[in-house]
Amino acid sequence: MTTLHIVRKSAFSSNDLAQCLALATKADTIVLLDDACYNVNHPLIAKTLNEQPELAINIMQTHAQARAVNIMNPIKAIVMEDLIKLTFTHKQVITWQ
Amino acid sequence: MNKLAVVVTTPPYSNLTITAIDYVETALSLGVDVIGVFFYQDGAIQANSNVTIASDEYQAIQQWTRLHQQYQLPLHLCITAAEKRGVQCDSTTNTEQSNANEVFTISGLGELVELSTNATRLVQF
Amino acid sequence: MSAFTQQETSAVAESTETINTTKALALINSQAPFACSDGKDSLDIALIFASFEQGVSLFFQGDGVYQLIDKQNGSLISVKDYLKTFAAFEFYDIEDIYICQQSLAERKLASSFHIDNVQILTVKDFAVQLVQHKHILRF
Repeated sequence: MTTLHIVRKSAFSSNDLAQCLALATKADTIVLLDDACYNVNHPLIAKTLNEQPELAINIMQTHAQARAVNIMNPIKAIVMEDLIKLTFTHKQVITWQ
Repeated sequence: MNKLAVVVTTPPYSNLTITAIDYVETALSLGVDVIGVFFYQDGAIQANSNVTIASDEYQAIQQWTRLHQQYQLPLHLCITAAEKRGVQCDSTTNTEQSNANEVFTISGLGELVELSTNATRLVQF
Repeated sequence: MSAFTQQETSAVAESTETINTTKALALINSQAPFACSDGKDSLDIALIFASFEQGVSLFFQGDGVYQLIDKQNGSLISVKDYLKTFAAFEFYDIEDIYICQQSLAERKLASSFHIDNVQILTVKDFAVQLVQHKHILRF
């Protein structure tokens, strides 16, 4: 089983995303929540999408829309119910905040 | 049976707390057994009954109270985190001195051990 | 000469294998020691879990690695030096203390720590150890 990584901060002002990605392994899932929605345009996400395509990157739809962040494939928009389900389909949850 | 415990470390006036409340409420509505919420660090400020949030803003404390009443959701306040943030928990002799909101159970870190033992998932906000 | 019969020995071996070796809690420390209370708040949790005999492992990543560096002196800045409590880890049976090699290198830090028993891990091994725990909290 795999790990769910909940990221909450902008990578333009915090190291959290970098630390998270250093430890994330394939088949883990990353969820961008709160200000982490801004990370869609961060070079680390682009790099990850390129180099680790098995790592699923999800984004909380309302949190992204509130911030006028565009959600583009392959980043997947989710709702809170999905986050609850992801909590239980992964073995551990790590919150990066 | 999926048992969920949640740790809240953000204050009531933070938008980040709304995310936590949304998460907990969604879990409850999906029938997840949320065995408790543990308020640590600045999360302890949620229990300060003197906190007044502008009436046109999100009322986090009211939402926790509602979840507590609707689902019997245990709200555990870490006493050490609370006291250093001005939440006076001494309600034994002088109840006038205590400003701890009574929907919160005054607990210690031992409660976190208990919650983590019983929970299948422990999620931090 | 073993005090146990072969039957007894293999029964013990078998039961050890089926014991759940997942430890209760991994604590990731990501903050430097003095300017914020995250390190102390994390330590308080570690000690309570340990005192309840719940297996807890400590992980130091990012600025959290500064918590382990030796020759620090919080008293010079009037900080209650909670780092000294790290010396009690062995007493509490907190034995698994991991530090991220990449974080040390980024900060040009020597592997000179104020406690023994620190294991320096590559990010890959750091991740491998993390998932051996039932729950993970990060401060």
